[in-house]
Amino acid sequence: MKKFTPILLAVLLLFTGAKAGGTGETILIKNGTIVPVAGGPSSVGDLLIENGRISQIAQNIQPPSGADVIDASGKYVYPGLVAVMTAVGVTGYPRAGNDTDEVGTSTPQMDPYDAINPEDDCIEVTRVGGVTTVHTVAGTRSVINGKSVVLHLGGTLAEDMVAKRYVAQIFNMGATEQNKYPSTRPGVISYIRDMLNQAKDYAKKQSDRDAKSDTEKKSDNDKDAPAKRDLAMEALVPVVTGKTPAIFITNNEVTIRNALAIIEEYKLRGIIRAGDGILKYADKIAEANIPVIWAGTESVPERWEPHDLNYHTAAVLAEKGILFTFDSGGYGPGSRNVRNITRPATISVAHGLSEQAALEALTISPAKILGMDDDAGSLEKGKIANVAIWTGSPIQERSRVETVIIKGERIPMVSFQTRLYDKFRKIVEERMKKK
Amino acid sequence: MGKKLVWILVAVVLIAPNIGAQDIALKGGTILTITNGTIENGTIVIQNGKITALGKDIAIPSGIPVIDTAGKFIMPGIIDSHSHIALADINEATDPVTPQIWMWEALEPGSDSIRKTLAGGVTTVKTMHGSANVIGGVNVTMKLKYERPIEELIIPGVRQQLKMALGENPKRVYGERGRSPSTRMGSAYMARKAFIEAQEYKAKWDKYEKDKAAGKKDLTPPKKDLKMETLKMTLEKKLSIDCHTYRAEEIVWIINFCKEFDLDLLQISHCIDGYKVADVMAEAGVFYGGWVDSWGFKEEAYDGCPYGMQIMYDAGTKMVINSDSPVVGRYLFREAAKVLKYTEIPEIEALKMITINAAESMELGGRIGSLEKGKDGDIAVFDKHPLDSTTKCLMTIIEGEVFFDYARESVTAKGGNR
Repeated sequence: MKKFTPILLAVLLLFTGAKAGGTGETILIKNGTIVPVAGGPSSVGDLLIENGRISQIAQNIQPPSGADVIDASGKYVYPGLVAVMTAVGVTGYPRAGNDTDEVGTSTPQMDPYDAINPEDDCIEVTRVGGVTTVHTVAGTRSVINGKSVVLHLGGTLAEDMVAKRYVAQIFNMGATEQNKYPSTRPGVISYIRDMLNQAKDYAKKQSDRDAKSDTEKKSDNDKDAPAKRDLAMEALVPVVTGKTPAIFITNNEVTIRNALAIIEEYKLRGIIRAGDGILKYADKIAEANIPVIWAGTESVPERWEPHDLNYHTAAVLAEKGILFTFDSGGYGPGSRNVRNITRPATISVAHGLSEQAALEALTISPAKILGMDDDAGSLEKGKIANVAIWTGSPIQERSRVETVIIKGERIPMVSFQTRLYDKFRKIVEERMKKK
Repeated sequence: MGKKLVWILVAVVLIAPNIGAQDIALKGGTILTITNGTIENGTIVIQNGKITALGKDIAIPSGIPVIDTAGKFIMPGIIDSHSHIALADINEATDPVTPQIWMWEALEPGSDSIRKTLAGGVTTVKTMHGSANVIGGVNVTMKLKYERPIEELIIPGVRQQLKMALGENPKRVYGERGRSPSTRMGSAYMARKAFIEAQEYKAKWDKYEKDKAAGKKDLTPPKKDLKMETLKMTLEKKLSIDCHTYRAEEIVWIINFCKEFDLDLLQISHCIDGYKVADVMAEAGVFYGGWVDSWGFKEEAYDGCPYGMQIMYDAGTKMVINSDSPVVGRYLFREAAKVLKYTEIPEIEALKMITINAAESMELGGRIGSLEKGKDGDIAVFDKHPLDSTTKCLMTIIEGEVFFDYARESVTAKGGNR
């Protein structure tokens, strides 16, 4: 590391720096163990990337002229990992606060796209860790928090990175207020019902109005039309009409039950983000085909529970056929360590989950949950070329990411952390020389 | 009352696993001694809680219970040099200087956090006062002997450590109340003032003791001050220091401060910026105590850099990985594996960071932290190499007694909870 890093970084910069901003290079990855995760078995072979997408996976692909050929002998080629509950892009500049969690019990109109900062240090740190795609949410601390956005972590402007906007609305079933309504969990569910009822009324007024002819609209003096636009209601309409999924943050039995009740009552496209208490409802969740963002792997079980209850939970979810992914356990400033999304997966594999199921939960399953599996989440022909070359399985903490390709472009393997390393290696070494 | 207590004690004796079983042998498997290489198909014999033999062809004395560890990996019990488990209270956050606080007076040997931590192969922890105060309380270095009397947990003869804390936490706790310290300058002043007073206190007592020994009559002893008593012990090196700090300038500051007052600073906890002053730490001989890749969870933690461990390793900085968390304390072996992800530090050195180095950071290197004849029989058995992330701990043994057994205490072993 001490000798190689600066040289390696310089070489990588030479290779990649000039090519940023294009529409994708032609890249041929040769002789790697290609682990597509979905769509086929793993095998040693080649993977060709053209125009930002995977164009071919086969053996002995001849390099097209001008192709950037990467020798991946002895290495492992995986799809870029997908992290579903992050603040990547909105964690803020250092010492300038972050841009998540707007004030208010209900702020469904908040859109993290409006705050995406392409200079967020978290972007580079996350992508050199092999996570190429993130789902960044407006917040988690209010009852109704706002929208979300999916980013592929390549590009220099927010508009380059954005893959999909308003992917889901974020509800938190346990976000009780202090000293004002709703200060209890029954209050929270009642509050959400009120808001969803209002949104349904608003949607009905809109559709009634849309159904009328122009003359009718004029003749009734817009009696049935909304008096004026309400941006919060506009944000909730696609949720109550079943167009946009709703993620429900839960943290125990009561909040899971309440989330399931709301999903059923309003026929929402619900997604449960669960901590404790998930096993009790696993059968019901499986039956209702509700996807799960499992956030409790690392939680210490209660004193009457076995030590590995949560370590083993992902294996149970997989066995029951539930579509699930992992949450790395934190949101907000603490979630800057999104690269550790592999941590709960490794623990789960140690305690009964298959490696294949763990890899799915880090790639194709979150892509499905986000409605992006046509484009992301596996190494399959036609998909966006989000690819990482690893020295071993992502299910090993020691495995390194050596090459990252996002939307068909090689990403410089640098971050502010590698720059800190270079700077302080020099400083420390020079100080030691003087002694 | 008396009768009730007896019944409780009887119940404790009945519930506690394998009480008194201090002779045990582990036969088969790969023994990672940490200090003397690896033994394939080895055997370890523990008698009266101490390792009496280990090696390839060891005869097991008759009458000793034998555990079959063929195909398993055997390492010394993991040591966590920064924990807050098993404490009923953590922060006496009413005053920035509280050396009169002794954490063993909040210790709960029956805390479930001990059981859950044992399941991660951990046998020894230093459970600590929190970071609200510039000078907190005296920490407890102890074995995780679940449900035993406190006296059995505390390691005999160990020099306990006084907790200090710099940076954002004391500033926040007292600054928000309109009190000092609200700045780093304030924290520095508090620490200096306390130890200067302690020097004066110690001088008074030293003079008194000297006069008394000389047979002087009509002596009035100086007034006892419990805060000053602890600081006097620290000046006398009966206690050492573990200081919580993140930033490079504070690391240098506390090293210089401890030189100024001739205090034994053994570990800097949360040492996020350690790599920036790796040479200064190496020269001071103080341990880096911290995580591998944490960063950005608070302002002073922003520059956390996992590659920095390489700089420290090359500069000769002594390093320990610790948890500061009941969550991470259950899988320090996973943290150690991450050292290999971000640096060229050898495997064995990564393992040392959770074993012998941690032992040395608490001056227990002669007793625990490696598998050697004469050392305590503290052992963690894993099903795969502990740096393989798909491994799990199967058994945790302290001084020859089994305190965690995966086969009995695991939902996975029982085929899952559905």
